[in-house]
Amino acid sequence: MRVARYLPMIVLIAGLGGALADGGGDRGDEWSPIVYPLQRLPLIFSHAKHLGRGATCATCHPAAASSRSAVDNLIPTELECRACHPIDRADPEKVIAGAPPAQCRACHVGWSPDRPVERVYLTPTPLKFAHAAHAKTPCGGCHGDMTRVELATRRQLPTMTSCLTCHTNGTNERRCSDCHVTKLGGLIETDFPHGSLVPRHTGLGDAHAPGFANDHKQEARQVDATCTACHDRSTCIACHQGITKPTEFHPGNYVLTHTVEAKRGTPDCSACHRAQSFCVGCHERSGVGLRGRTDFNSVDPARAFHPAGWASRVGGPNRHSSEARRNVASCASCHREDDCLTCHSAELGSLRASPHPKGWRGSTRCRALDRGNRRMCLKCHVTQDELGCDWRAP
Amino acid sequence: MLRGCVVAIALAVSVAPAHAYEFWLRSQTIGQAYQLREYRLVGPDLFLGRRRYSQTLALRIWDVGDLSRDRRQARLPDRGLRISWQSYLRVDHDFGSYASGRITLGSVRRDALDVIPELDETLIGLDLMYGYLELGGIADDRVTLRVGRVLADDGWGTTAVDGVGARVELPQPIAISASAGVRVRASSPLGNSSYELDGTSGAACREYVEAATPGAGSWKLIDRNRTITDSRFSSDFEYCPQRDVLQPTIGVAVATSRIRRFGAELGYRRTWSSTVGLIGPVDRLDHPDRGLYPNDFGQAPDRGINEERLHARVHAELTRGSVRIQPFANTRFSLLHAAFDRVDGGVRLLRGEHSLEPSVEYFLPTFDGDSIFNVFSIEPTTDVRLRYRHDGLVRAHASTWLRRYAHATGDSSVSGGIEAGIEHAFARKWRTRADALWDDGYGGRRIGTSGELGWRPTSTMWLRGRVIVLGVAPDDRPKYVTSATVVSTTWRLGDAAALHAIFEADVDELYDTQLRMIAVLDLAFAPEP
Repeated sequence: MRVARYLPMIVLIAGLGGALADGGGDRGDEWSPIVYPLQRLPLIFSHAKHLGRGATCATCHPAAASSRSAVDNLIPTELECRACHPIDRADPEKVIAGAPPAQCRACHVGWSPDRPVERVYLTPTPLKFAHAAHAKTPCGGCHGDMTRVELATRRQLPTMTSCLTCHTNGTNERRCSDCHVTKLGGLIETDFPHGSLVPRHTGLGDAHAPGFANDHKQEARQVDATCTACHDRSTCIACHQGITKPTEFHPGNYVLTHTVEAKRGTPDCSACHRAQSFCVGCHERSGVGLRGRTDFNSVDPARAFHPAGWASRVGGPNRHSSEARRNVASCASCHREDDCLTCHSAELGSLRASPHPKGWRGSTRCRALDRGNRRMCLKCHVTQDELGCDWRAP
Repeated sequence: MLRGCVVAIALAVSVAPAHAYEFWLRSQTIGQAYQLREYRLVGPDLFLGRRRYSQTLALRIWDVGDLSRDRRQARLPDRGLRISWQSYLRVDHDFGSYASGRITLGSVRRDALDVIPELDETLIGLDLMYGYLELGGIADDRVTLRVGRVLADDGWGTTAVDGVGARVELPQPIAISASAGVRVRASSPLGNSSYELDGTSGAACREYVEAATPGAGSWKLIDRNRTITDSRFSSDFEYCPQRDVLQPTIGVAVATSRIRRFGAELGYRRTWSSTVGLIGPVDRLDHPDRGLYPNDFGQAPDRGINEERLHARVHAELTRGSVRIQPFANTRFSLLHAAFDRVDGGVRLLRGEHSLEPSVEYFLPTFDGDSIFNVFSIEPTTDVRLRYRHDGLVRAHASTWLRRYAHATGDSSVSGGIEAGIEHAFARKWRTRADALWDDGYGGRRIGTSGELGWRPTSTMWLRGRVIVLGVAPDDRPKYVTSATVVSTTWRLGDAAALHAIFEADVDELYDTQLRMIAVLDLAFAPEP
């Protein structure tokens, strides 16, 4: 083929390399907006200052140590603040020398006496989590060094990456539901009002990136793949062994256009279709076969399906021997074994055309096939003399 | 009869009261109507109607006996024995002339099913794709047992066996999984051919019949009587006993477990079958014969191996600065062929929103050990692939590939191509996508593009339109241009129900217009993430 034909491919490769080099930051440890929905925290607060003045985590979050649910609201209420701050709602501008700030505006962003206080909105995380079960773990182990943090946001909540640091068995799909909430039947709940939970770059190699629906073999092959934590196995079968045409994978007029891909053998048709059942049945019924009603006739050049000389015993381009060696699966989509036996059988009176390549007899492959299943050999070879890999033709 | 009994039992079980467990059930009712062309060189082509009705039922009965109820209600991780049932049942029937029509051969009209036995599954199918009882959480959560029609996967394909499967987690970060049973074949109860090894057909099965004069025999159809019983739902012809025998299958795999950023597995699977042997009465012909398969000499061994493979896979993840490096390699070795039939390896590089994946793949087609196609298939192919993905606000992917066909003569031929797509969601209700492909080389040349627009007018309705134009120049056929217009909608009827409809109109230079319609009533519908 001419090199120019592949120019678009070369340009594409160069472009892709450039794109990666210009990548940007790592997103592997980002906080999922589904696991941790967007928050609204119109507050002024400094963990750094509070911890610096001797407060402990439990001072403001007393319920954390006994919390058994991720939906518990552990943010301190005004009541907890009042333990130190002399807050007086009747006096919003109250200032006491030497005491912690008590003015409303000291904590509430944009507070104004003629406007309602802006509310804090926290959508509960759709996780199972018990602080109580983690009581022996220092708070900073999951939330980080809070002595450097002003207002805590999602960034002080643990990502799955950090959870898996200790929960090493969390990579097992049977353990996903230890933290993620499930729906009936034990599958992980992925459909939420604020979006769908989709794996990203979590280090499990399961990122559902663009084009994932059509090409996910590496993700599915991973040892400890977590697919079935979210997807029922029927999802795989509905597509791979399905009964409807997958319009994404076989778009448009695929019944007509599939010939090119089938001849090439890419994509691998056998990943979903059994040639001797699915393909043969349809081809025979469509008149592209030998048994059903067909107008094709290999004897008449005007009605031949294959090019002239196709059945020649001499190999080469446009000869059936070359095609069969290259991709016999495409032959098997129309022909059955008995078609091959017409000429290749060692039966007396037949052409006795040997399909074996040079050096076949005595080869490792011949011996392995003969040792494994001699029934196959017996489909062509009819005499005892011809069986095995050591016999020599007279 | 057998199928009927199994259905009756399944229905009886499925309607039993469900008090002490929770269950999830997804039912899809699918109607399809389209036509396929029956090609004729003389006169206009005929059209074969396909009017397919299919019903699928995916069922998960979870925590039978409520053994884990207390922990579940306390939102604690599951521990201890849990019993569950998972199954996927499918009923499929084609009312159209494609499967149930008749074919005129010469002056005789016969059921298409009799002439083409492969249409059997197309005409009517009642398939249990999988169905097993699972006992999980045994021995301190280290053992899981499955009994029934269980699935087994070697990384390149999934098969099903009627038997048992087990997975044992060792204290070391290693897991051993094993399965044993009888491979699911088309002839299995509620069986389906899709799990079966390829290479053999249920039609035109032959035996070698020796003649009165030794050495002058010939290959003859086993089913020589070909008695027409006029059965509407199964082929009257073709007797192929070797395809009906049981295929015992064992598989075992040792894999790493609970290791983050690294996984490896080594596995073995073997399927074998006994030889049918006697397929008819001795001396049934007009000369002495032994009625044996595959030949009258009785040379066939008692059994033969249909599949015997080793597979290995390994993947890892490394981090270098802001780049994640995920190398992977997978291989499969067929002991039956003494050859590697599948190998691939590559590395995925992730940086921010970008990923780049160069890989190499090697493929040698192999078949059921009973198939003579194993002898013909000797030329492997090698692919070099490069894939890029951008997973940002604008989602895009592009890939390029080059396949080399190594010929036994020493020379080679190639094919290759590129494809790319980009999609973007905007204004919360709209999504647009464009794709393009070009490939060339062995097989032919294709160039095409597609554009898609999705609209979500309400929170319960999706509308999607897509136009595809593709120019095709096959190696050995006239070139043509084809276009397709696809309009589809999903209407979410409630929390757990949706109605999908797809309408496709294909227009091409060769054959004018063809239409396809699909409607799916999806109960327990949950949108894919």
